[in-house]
Amino acid sequence: MSRVLVAMSGGVDSSVAAALLVEAGHEVVGVTMKTFCYSETPSHGKTCCGLDGISDAKRVAAALGIPHYVFDVEEDFTRDVIDDFVQEYSEGRTPNPCVRCNSNTKFRDLMRRGRALGCDRIASGHYVRSHHGPRGSTLHRGLDEAKDQAYFLWALPPELVPQLDFPLGALTKDEVRARARTLDLVTADKPESQEICFVPTGDYRDLLKRRLGTHPALEPGPIVRSSGEVVGEHHGYAGFTVGQRKGLGGGFSEPHFVLEVRPETREVVVGTRDELFQDEVSVRELNWLTDPGESGASLTVQLRYRAPAVSATVTPTEEGLVLALDEAQPAVTPGQSAVLFDGDRLLGGGRIVAAGRRVETAVPGLSA
Amino acid sequence: MKPVYLDYAATTPVRPEVLDAMAPLLGDVFGNPSSIHRWGRQAAEALEGARERLSDALGASASEVTFVRGGTESDNLALFGWCGAQRARGAEPTLAYSAVEHHAVFEAAEHAEATGLASVVKLDVTRDGRLDLDALRAAVGAGPTLVSVMWVNNECGMVLPLAEVADVVSEAGGTLHSDAAQAIGKVAVDVRRTPVDLLSGTGHKVYGPKGTGFLYAREGTPVAPLLHGGGQERALRPGTQDVAGAVGLATAVRLAVAEQEASAARMRALGARLERGLLSELEGVRINAGQAERAPHVLSVGVGGIEDGSALVMALDLEGIAVSGGSACTSGSMKASHVMRALYGPDDSHATVRYSFGRETDEADVDAALRATVAVVQRMRAA
Repeated sequence: MSRVLVAMSGGVDSSVAAALLVEAGHEVVGVTMKTFCYSETPSHGKTCCGLDGISDAKRVAAALGIPHYVFDVEEDFTRDVIDDFVQEYSEGRTPNPCVRCNSNTKFRDLMRRGRALGCDRIASGHYVRSHHGPRGSTLHRGLDEAKDQAYFLWALPPELVPQLDFPLGALTKDEVRARARTLDLVTADKPESQEICFVPTGDYRDLLKRRLGTHPALEPGPIVRSSGEVVGEHHGYAGFTVGQRKGLGGGFSEPHFVLEVRPETREVVVGTRDELFQDEVSVRELNWLTDPGESGASLTVQLRYRAPAVSATVTPTEEGLVLALDEAQPAVTPGQSAVLFDGDRLLGGGRIVAAGRRVETAVPGLSA
Repeated sequence: MKPVYLDYAATTPVRPEVLDAMAPLLGDVFGNPSSIHRWGRQAAEALEGARERLSDALGASASEVTFVRGGTESDNLALFGWCGAQRARGAEPTLAYSAVEHHAVFEAAEHAEATGLASVVKLDVTRDGRLDLDALRAAVGAGPTLVSVMWVNNECGMVLPLAEVADVVSEAGGTLHSDAAQAIGKVAVDVRRTPVDLLSGTGHKVYGPKGTGFLYAREGTPVAPLLHGGGQERALRPGTQDVAGAVGLATAVRLAVAEQEASAARMRALGARLERGLLSELEGVRINAGQAERAPHVLSVGVGGIEDGSALVMALDLEGIAVSGGSACTSGSMKASHVMRALYGPDDSHATVRYSFGRETDEADVDAALRATVAVVQRMRAA
């Protein structure tokens, strides 16, 4: 029987994941990563990755009778996730820190450290399914559509996939909670963590100010229409993301949204809702979890967590690929992920670098 | 697989004689030693008897021993209490401490400096266990100075040259404190033979209860209290005494001192056996402070070619071998501990494994530790 390392955040999902592995007879080692310096952030009981998370994970591990260790990954996490987060915002893009964390810290680094402990498999409480068969290993969406987290895993190193187990992939959140209550785990009724773990206050601009000091991204700049007409001033483009409505000031006859952030001129470009829709997406930093050659026309792309996947035609380019969406989508945001699926099978993905509109296509809903 | 505990320098189980001595104080003899009535007198008698047994074991007088609630408190009371007494008479105190002190000493000293209570001087220690005595002399000569040099280092077992240090300090007119938490019961600790002014000790390293400790202060050494609120312990440590704890502590220390020579010989043989095995079966390992005089219960090993020392301790735990990497407070972080940096430089990349032996340790235990260590190190180096 193999020795499995399970990443325990101290939340209910990874607690139950660990419990299920123990029930299945595996030798399970629980690990919680200490990702950043908690003393720098105001105490915030509801996040899963805080010190409370570590002690909850320890208590669950003790209840399950498995060893539990804390890996101090602060240095790597800061470099691979927080520095990237700050860099992306400073360049006018909107980062996906959970994707970075999963691909670097959570699975790559954890597997490397886990091997030192004699672990040959790694598991987590993600709502994702893994299939390990004679023809290789694949990842699929979790059965609970409301919880499915495949979106966050597109950037995993493909060679890790055969070593991954996701015990919650076929369960719903309600089933997981019920299981946790049956087992009387201390985390059974813990609230969901929604915020970015290293921004427990929910306001990432404080973090940017702390880490960037003075930076053009935090200085005032013009709010303009796509025509170039100046309609206001903002307090730093790093506070804006495509599709955002807040913070633009009033005075518009209809709701306005951020269409684009232009770091070189510090402009935040705004427009109406119909201007938000785009159907051509340039993607770079591609990562394939499976041979891209196999998948044909049935490919779909998910452009945000919780957004539906839409059909797209893929054209490879020198640096990545261009996706022609069958239907235009709102707020396609540079820095975010474009995640590719074949049905429920996760194929891979990339980072969105630009979005535009093909001239001839119509935008749904515009005529309405 | 029988799990093997080789972390006696972290803490020890309470031995049966200690538990027996404590039991009445947790039951019938529950009085408050400050009370006038018979219950009080009975408790006071138990407390003062404990004080006498403890002081006797260390060559001190009963009036020189204050019961406190652990080694960390004792270190803090020594440093801040002495500084406070100096301040009270208008003097500007200096704290001089060795670079390998326990956190309870060096973080207390750093705090004293940060809050303007005292100036501090850090004294280098070489890996063969010597202090720069000229620097020590210079520090003490500059004004009222408390020198804090531990008796035995907790991470590598190095015995510090207390006799030499005591000569220099007393000649230069300074005051000497020593944290003897890892020394009592392991090497001869007698305040008549080695004239320290202040000495800190704890119960749980010698099969006594956790949360117990004492501060020895030589007659006439000024120490101001840190807590206020009652006259207990001559007002140096107010608060109703933990009589059961004091009795447990005194019993444990007395037994440890009585058995010191015999147990040292036994543990030294176990350590030598493990040391020989590791050096012959693994390349790239060193015995930390190997050239220094070392206490018999600790074998600290530096392992090269391992990226993360804490993973080595975890991997050994999974094989059933309980050890520490550096001191318990340092482990969990990948950085070399302050002790290893002090002895081997800031860029030292060896992972530390501290094996420490106790009354229950036998040859089968160290052989199991040897086998597990060889297997785990080879696996980690191959990864």
